[in-house]
Amino acid sequence: MTRLHPFTLLALAAALVALAWLLPAPGGGLATVAAALGLAGSRGLRRGLWPALATAAPFWLFLFILHDVPTTVALGLRITTMVASVVWLVAVLAPARLVEAMVAAGWRAGTAYLFAATLSAVPVLKARAQRIVEAQRCRGLSPRGGLGPRVRALRALALPLILSALHEVDERALALESRGLVPGARRTPLAPPPDRGAERAVRWALVALCVAALVWRLA
Amino acid sequence: MSVRLLVLVPVAAAISLALSAVVDAVALPLFLDTTGTILATALAGPGVGIATGVVTSAVNTLRNPTFWPFVVVQIIVALYAWAAARAGLFRSFRTAIPAGLGLGVIASVTSTPISYLVFGCTTTGGIALTTALGRALGLSPLGACFFGSFVSDFGDKAVTFALVTSVLHALPRRTAARFPWALRAIGAA
Repeated sequence: MTRLHPFTLLALAAALVALAWLLPAPGGGLATVAAALGLAGSRGLRRGLWPALATAAPFWLFLFILHDVPTTVALGLRITTMVASVVWLVAVLAPARLVEAMVAAGWRAGTAYLFAATLSAVPVLKARAQRIVEAQRCRGLSPRGGLGPRVRALRALALPLILSALHEVDERALALESRGLVPGARRTPLAPPPDRGAERAVRWALVALCVAALVWRLA
Repeated sequence: MSVRLLVLVPVAAAISLALSAVVDAVALPLFLDTTGTILATALAGPGVGIATGVVTSAVNTLRNPTFWPFVVVQIIVALYAWAAARAGLFRSFRTAIPAGLGLGVIASVTSTPISYLVFGCTTTGGIALTTALGRALGLSPLGACFFGSFVSDFGDKAVTFALVTSVLHALPRRTAARFPWALRAIGAA
């Protein structure tokens, strides 16, 4: 599965989610959830199936509290399809391959950069947030008590994090400019994922399937 | 879009996502997941703000798949923040907090149909429980769903606007002046 073109993986996940909402419940939902859980399960119990089921479980509980059984089943199957499809997608799709595929397909390098840079920046900033929390606690900041002290603690913790991140903008911009990522410049992908004719045909078939389901439901 | 503004988008999106660690530390019932969108808009205008909102939703979707349908809310937040920045509403807490409360109402009105139709009002545990409370109070299913979204969004957006105001005022003027909208947002230009 990981050898498939990133666009094919995205198309499969998107089509499953679209069909879960388009096909009539509960039969349509059962079919899509079986396919999505099958895909998630193909990545193993710990990496695929268990995270999908653990993420979907609270929705079932809350649906059961708020709705009758037919609505719970219909919405639960759709949400489980969505969750399992994305869990599978995250497990099989390497962000670096997606960026290469986007650049090879003619997307601007800047657009591809946005997603890759955010994915790499989040763990860095989360680790920094944790260091700031520990440093402020060492200085006597107490994030407990009533609403007022907690809001003041929030400001004392969030402000250094945000300001330090903003001060990095110039450094990052300089680094990108020195690597030739300026507006309008074309990039050459180093190792673009192969996009076979059969995969392109599958992607178009998935689009046609979703359109057909939509037309059938509207008719 | 200049390279500096292009870089601002992932930085602002990462701020939105990393703030969850701060919220966990203070144990407040807040999301702060639109902080980066509002900040990017106040610094650099609606295009950068919308791009930040879309990237935030896309990356958040990889962690929790239920976030993607709410990308519409991020776009509306960016447009609202742009209007607030144009009016200089980030100049003090006295103007920013009411503006944030207004955004809370708009965000809950926008998110209610998505939450109701796609998730049956079960987006988060907090929203589900407040929706159940609304049902117990005799509200209609859609009304109870709005009640759940409103309770979670109203205070969150006011705190977010106050936080962004603090950041804009704490930025050195020389740094702020490098972003096209920052000084206007705080009423200094």
